[in-house]
Amino acid sequence: MDNSDIYREEILSQYRNPQNFGVMKRPSRESYKVNPLCGDGIRLQILLTPKGVVKKVRFSGTGCAISIAAASLLTSWMEGKSLAQLKRLKPESVQKLLGVEVGPARHKCLFLSFEALRDILGV
Amino acid sequence: MQNIRAQFPILKRKVNGKPLAYFDNAATTQKPVSVIDALTRFYREANAPVHRSVYSLGVEATERYEEVRTEVQKFINAKHAEEIIFTGGATESLNIVASSFSEAFLKAGDTVLVGDSDHHAVIVPWQAVAEKKKLKLTFIPVADNGVIDLAAYKTLLKTKPKFVALTYISNVLGVINPVKEMTALAHKAGAAVMIDAAQSVAHTPIDVQKLNCDFLAFSGHKMYGPTGVGVLYGKKELLERMPPRTFGGNMIAEVTREKTTYAPLPAKFEAGTPPIAEVIGLGEAIRFIQKIGFKAIQKTEGELTAYALKSFAKIPELSLLGSKNAQNRIPVFSFIMCGVHPHDIATLLDREGISVRAGHHCAEVLHRRFSITASVRASLTFYNTKAEIDRLREALIRTVKKFNG
Repeated sequence: MDNSDIYREEILSQYRNPQNFGVMKRPSRESYKVNPLCGDGIRLQILLTPKGVVKKVRFSGTGCAISIAAASLLTSWMEGKSLAQLKRLKPESVQKLLGVEVGPARHKCLFLSFEALRDILGV
Repeated sequence: MQNIRAQFPILKRKVNGKPLAYFDNAATTQKPVSVIDALTRFYREANAPVHRSVYSLGVEATERYEEVRTEVQKFINAKHAEEIIFTGGATESLNIVASSFSEAFLKAGDTVLVGDSDHHAVIVPWQAVAEKKKLKLTFIPVADNGVIDLAAYKTLLKTKPKFVALTYISNVLGVINPVKEMTALAHKAGAAVMIDAAQSVAHTPIDVQKLNCDFLAFSGHKMYGPTGVGVLYGKKELLERMPPRTFGGNMIAEVTREKTTYAPLPAKFEAGTPPIAEVIGLGEAIRFIQKIGFKAIQKTEGELTAYALKSFAKIPELSLLGSKNAQNRIPVFSFIMCGVHPHDIATLLDREGISVRAGHHCAEVLHRRFSITASVRASLTFYNTKAEIDRLREALIRTVKKFNG
């Protein structure tokens, strides 16, 4: 598979200037996941409204262009979603958020923030 | 060396439409046609179980298998053939030592030294054993150039460790540690010594009697041989006193309902049907190396080392881990690049047919020592070329441009 377009400008700009990057002081829930292949880790934090809707989301840590861009796009998508909606998110949808096909060698990178989300949701 | 590449069929292939430039030799080397043919020939003409056959085919297979033991003995200059144990790989060899040596000789409170630049296959078995037996595990630090810190090592030896694990050549940094001197120092302090020679076996001659180490481990597949076979060398008087780790056929002397007695060396540590074809392939790999000779290998690899270091120095964004010096090292280079993650570099290089490793290379402790999580590793061997290094350099420059704009 030619994965050349995984480094197109949209993705590189998400990597250079990720959305929702940072740490919040009092999250409702959080999780930290490590990619065992490279030791990179992403911390994902969410703040929920009393009704269980994502009010604010932040991620932090180190990662490659794929994992940071995916986390940036995933966290943007998460804002305003209910826990039930988050639980329904499929891995394929994460791939779709990124808008490009990522080969199996980089799935760990692509799904690092998604794994943290699954951990937060307890699924 | 001119026609050496022709002996490696895989080097002719293309990856992503570009000629393969294989720079992951520290993980596994490619195989010459003589090794590939030896495997096929064994299965086509000579396949039989070893050690327990009366019929000619089985006797022949046993003879070939045992011949390789003698070849390995000569290759590393062991005193006795039965000091050569065939295992599944260096990882298994290192695990056997950790588990069996500690059971035979160590007690709660004893100190064991491992190194910051050790591979996980050294650190993790000893961590597991230390936890179980309540041993004290201490790490030998490395200096900024990547070589084991000798002064710190000498201080650690004052704690009277019972066992010291040494890495001959770091699989990340490519630097050669002074293992002979370190072994002598450890012995003086009363410790037994194990050397992980996985990275040195294809690059430097090994003489276990000169090194005077108690154990030494390596894999076949990092020296142009097949996967699934490795060697554990151990001094006879120690191996004889150590318990077997795997139980089953071949490793017994007598089995009754009440009790089993074990076979003498080396069978005691070779339970079950061994990797026969792989051992025969390993023998072929040794012949391949000896035909070229370490003198020629080191000359070519020294030139590649100098050229690669010069090429890397031309990329300002690249920082090499450990020594920047061509002396006392093999052509294994790990580096990071400003603004680009190692995984992204590896993916972009792969698009140009260049295979490099990205990650921690099973040496997380060492990466933490350098305050990073991951690096890119290009590990070369004598079949790599200066033209391939040029391609690597140019591709790295393009990668930086793409990322940093």
